[in-house]
Amino acid sequence: MAAFCSAFPFLTQSEFEGACQDLADRCTSAQHIDWSAIRLLTKPDGTSLRITKRVDVPSPLEAPALDLEESQEDEDPEALVRAKPQPSLQIDYDILLSPTYQVPVLYFGLRWHNHGPLGLDEVYQYVVPEQYRQQLKSVGVMGGISMGYHPDSGAPAFFVHPCNTADAMANIADAQNVTPGSYLLIWLGLVGHCVNLHVPRELYA
Amino acid sequence: MENRVSLGSIQKAVWDGRLPLEIVLASSESRTFDKTDPYLISYPRISYLPSLLPKLRAFFSNFLIDPNSQSHDGWFEFEGVPLKWHYPVGLLFDLYAGVDPASKTAARDNESPGDGSSLPWRLIVHFSDWPPDLVRLDAYGMVMNDAFINSVKEADFLRNGTAKGIMSLSKEDSSGLWNAVQEVDLLSFQRISNILLPQPSQPFRNVPIRVFLPLLPDAESSSLKVVQTPLPPSIPASSMQSSQILTSRSGSTLQPQTVGTVLHTLLPNLFPSRRTPVLAKPVLHGAVIPMSAPIEEVVRSSAYGDGWAYIVVRMMG
Repeated sequence: MAAFCSAFPFLTQSEFEGACQDLADRCTSAQHIDWSAIRLLTKPDGTSLRITKRVDVPSPLEAPALDLEESQEDEDPEALVRAKPQPSLQIDYDILLSPTYQVPVLYFGLRWHNHGPLGLDEVYQYVVPEQYRQQLKSVGVMGGISMGYHPDSGAPAFFVHPCNTADAMANIADAQNVTPGSYLLIWLGLVGHCVNLHVPRELYA
Repeated sequence: MENRVSLGSIQKAVWDGRLPLEIVLASSESRTFDKTDPYLISYPRISYLPSLLPKLRAFFSNFLIDPNSQSHDGWFEFEGVPLKWHYPVGLLFDLYAGVDPASKTAARDNESPGDGSSLPWRLIVHFSDWPPDLVRLDAYGMVMNDAFINSVKEADFLRNGTAKGIMSLSKEDSSGLWNAVQEVDLLSFQRISNILLPQPSQPFRNVPIRVFLPLLPDAESSSLKVVQTPLPPSIPASSMQSSQILTSRSGSTLQPQTVGTVLHTLLPNLFPSRRTPVLAKPVLHGAVIPMSAPIEEVVRSSAYGDGWAYIVVRMMG
C-alpha cells in the first residue's frame, strides 16, 4: 500500500517521481488509451512525464492553407485538391514538478505533423475544448495559459498556470487519504480537461 | 564593523544602475550592410530589452530592407546568442558579457571593472527571422506583461506560501507594478510592492532566488542552467557561528541563511566554503555579493522588479 502524501496539498520531488513512474507503468498495460506515447524522462535534476497525442483537426477547411502549400510546393498542384490530407496535430504534454509551487505543472507544445510549432491562437482553436475557452481566457493578463520556456529544454512552450493548483487540490481531495499516485490522477483530471488531455477511465480503477 | 547601509539605499542604487548599450542593426537586414549608425543609450539594468524596440524600429526605419517589419518582430543577439527578453538586461549582461564584476578587492587593486574594452555592451537587433528558441512578442506588449506578472506571482508564492497576495492586488495596482518597472519609477513600485511584501518584522516563508550556473564555452546549446529550490531565510544554527543566532518559537536556535550557506548547499563543488569564494563567485547587478549577506536582506534590497534575485555564478581566475 502506497504511503499518503506527506505535504498535501503539495507534492515532494520523490512523491512526484514515484507517481509518474506509477502512471507510466499503468498506461503501458492499459488497453484503451488514445495517447500515442507516454514516456518517463529521467534527468539528474528531476523527472518528468511526457504524453504525446495526435489530434485530427475537425474540419480540413480550417487547416492552414499556407502551411499545405509550403509543404507540397514541389508536387503536382492538383494533388492538393484531390487528396485534401486530413491535417493532424501533434501535442506533447510534459508534466513537471514546479520548484516554486511544489505542485505538478503542465507544459505543452503543438505542431502540425512534420511542421513547426504553433501559437496561442491555435491553442485556443484546436486544443482547448469550446466549453472552457471563455473561462480560461478571462483570467490573468492573457488567460490561464501562458507562453514561457520549458524548464528542461529551454524552448518556448505553453503552460497552464499552476498558482492555484494547491488550493484546488485541497478543495477536491481529502487530505488524509491521498496517495501521490491518486494525487497525480486527480490533478490530471483537474488540469488536463481544459487542454484536451483526458485521463483514460480505466486508469482510475 | 563596516557602516551598515540601509536596505532602501541599496535598492535605490540598484534601480539607478545603468548599462551603456550600443545597438546595431543586423547587417543582413540593413540597406547599408554594416554602415548603419549604431543606437547608443544608457539603459536601466532592471529594464527589459523589448521596451527599446519602438525607438529602435523608428531609428533604423530608413535602413531596413524589409520595410514591413513591426517593432514587435524585433529581437536581440549577443555574439550569436538570441537573448531571452523576459530577463532584465542587467541579468543578461552579467550572464553573457564576460565583464569582470565589480568587487572591493578589484577597486583596491585599482583595476576597475569593465575597463572600457567591453563597454558599451554591443548588441545586434533584428526585425526578421525570429529565432525558434525565443517566445514571440505581440503588438500590445501582452506577452511581456504576462511573463512579468507570472514571475511576480512565483516570487509572491515563495515569500508567503500562498498566491493570495498577488491575486488580491487590484487590477490598477497589478498593471501599476508593471508600469512602474517599465518606467523605472521606484516610488510607485515601492507603494505597490509594500502591499505584497511581508512586513520587515515578519520573515519570508521562502526567499525567491535563482542561481544561474556558468555557461560552458563549448556547450552545444546556449540554454541556461538554473538552480532553484525552496530557501527558508533561516536555517538551524551551526555551532561555529554565534554572532547572529536567533531563537525560533520552538526553542531551537536558528541563524540567517546567507548567500554562502545557499551556494555551499546547492553547489558544494563550486562553493566548498560557506564564507569565502574559492573557485567561483556570486554576482548580482554587476557586483560580487558578500557570502555573508543574509539572503532575505539581499532580496528585500536588491531584487529585480519581479521580486527575484538572480545570482550569476562566475568562475574565478
